[in-house]
Amino acid sequence: MCSNSVVRLAVLGLLAPGLLPAQDAPLPLGSVHINFPTDAPIAVMSSTTGASRTAARGAAMVVDLHMELTLRNISQSRIHGITLRVVSQEVALGGKASVSLPSLNVGPGEVFPLRIDQQLIRPTQIAGGPLVEVTLDGVLFQDLSFYGPDRLHSRRTMTAWEMEARRDREYFKRVLAQSGSAGLQKAVLASMAQRPRLDVRVIKHGPAVTSAALGAPEHTEQFAFLQFPDSPIQPIGGWAQVAGNQARAPEIEVRNRSDQAVKYVELGWLVKDTNGQEYMAASLPAAEPNLYLPAGKTARVVQDTQLTFSKGGKPVNVEGMVGFVSQVEFADGKVWVPNRQNLGMDVLPKVLAPSPEEQRLTEIYVRKGLQALVEELKKY
Amino acid sequence: MKHPNQATLALHAGGDLGVFARWRTERHLAKCADCREELAGFEAVREITPELREIPEIPWQRLSAEMRANIRLGLAAGECVRTGETPLREMRWFGGARAAVAFASMIALVATGLMLERPAPRHVPEDEGSVVETTADGIQMSEGGQAIGLLHSGARNVTYTVSAQGGMRARYVDPETGYVTINNVDVQ
Repeated sequence: MCSNSVVRLAVLGLLAPGLLPAQDAPLPLGSVHINFPTDAPIAVMSSTTGASRTAARGAAMVVDLHMELTLRNISQSRIHGITLRVVSQEVALGGKASVSLPSLNVGPGEVFPLRIDQQLIRPTQIAGGPLVEVTLDGVLFQDLSFYGPDRLHSRRTMTAWEMEARRDREYFKRVLAQSGSAGLQKAVLASMAQRPRLDVRVIKHGPAVTSAALGAPEHTEQFAFLQFPDSPIQPIGGWAQVAGNQARAPEIEVRNRSDQAVKYVELGWLVKDTNGQEYMAASLPAAEPNLYLPAGKTARVVQDTQLTFSKGGKPVNVEGMVGFVSQVEFADGKVWVPNRQNLGMDVLPKVLAPSPEEQRLTEIYVRKGLQALVEELKKY
Repeated sequence: MKHPNQATLALHAGGDLGVFARWRTERHLAKCADCREELAGFEAVREITPELREIPEIPWQRLSAEMRANIRLGLAAGECVRTGETPLREMRWFGGARAAVAFASMIALVATGLMLERPAPRHVPEDEGSVVETTADGIQMSEGGQAIGLLHSGARNVTYTVSAQGGMRARYVDPETGYVTINNVDVQ
């Protein structure tokens, strides 16, 4: 009788781990709330959360959201971009995210799909209400007008994407006009070339000094700059504290050389490793939420952050840094982005990822062929 | 009427019952002639027992020694006729083994439960605060040892954009819709 009890206990011990994953469960019905304003230019036609699941993890619930929305443009203008906020809770890390569709071209009355694949965390103590709320942050129209609460600065971001899209479509159309299909094909293949990828780890509010465990002494590394002749902002000087594969507290001084006030500046940050290989490391936005830089004045772009660089699990030590102006927003809401000539400078073509629109156009070439790409360019 | 059993009556005859049992038995005896008769029998035996010691024909010490010897002989004979190996549950170490198996099962159950409850993809030192990073599979955010990952299964050529401000974007062309999709996460 005693041995039977032992066998039963052992079987329970073996089966119990198999029972625990049962905490992973499908998303309950009605747990996602789509909340668009009544005067929104888009309407939700349908939504599904088929493969979405929730899983308990300690005192938190992980919501693995896989949602497909069907939206209709109920405005009178063509929609060129949309951003949705996806929120499970506002307080802790992992509770909110967003999904954007740039490079859209949706006419009035037309329907388009939008897929949300996000993982969110929500404390289990939160009782009641939907698990996830999907709200509209902004819609960008063809004429660059905007609708939405813009909590995520979607207006600026989507306007910049739209400016890049127009730039890159014009570039491919120009190549097609000047060099024909063969020239277009060559340009698309160049766009598809692999860029060296760096794994970057960002610690917001990084430590005051770099970890001594690195063994490398920290020193002040100066930025070199790529100067774009037509940029309204000129980088003057800058540095970061560098030790081995870590860089922290980047700071760049810029001057507004345009005749308009500027309210947002973003720089691109390249790093060079010990072999001379350069990588796109990060974008460096101005930290001040209410930046106002009058014409002719200077300001500092500073971030209290620490970046760690690696590749394939191995640290990539920083030997040099290059900065360039990648985005400027004027006080009137207009956005400047570098032109194709600027992007052809120095190492940029080899390290900069293509714009969202360039990525879309090359994907059309890959999936449907050169003629489909030519037809797509004719739509604009 | 429920009668006391013989053991109770015998103990009562010797004055060995507890207070409550003696009270209950006496109440029953007051009403039951049969039990009184049986009790009288036990008392009579008790009265003659001391006299038995006095009978020299009965060798009590020898009888006791013979009975003990017979018991030992029976046990020894049983050992001799036993065939095969000793049953597992009669082995000395079996009790300890049972306890060890039960204990190991409990430990395995608790450890498995903890692992499934907290499958942190990567250890993050607690003093680092909020961390966002690109990995081979996607974007990972972590804080205080807890981490979540944002994977993009099915998408190819995913482009990651890092903001030194603490945000990260994953951009890809959705294989089903054909639209460029940009997922944005932020540690702020």
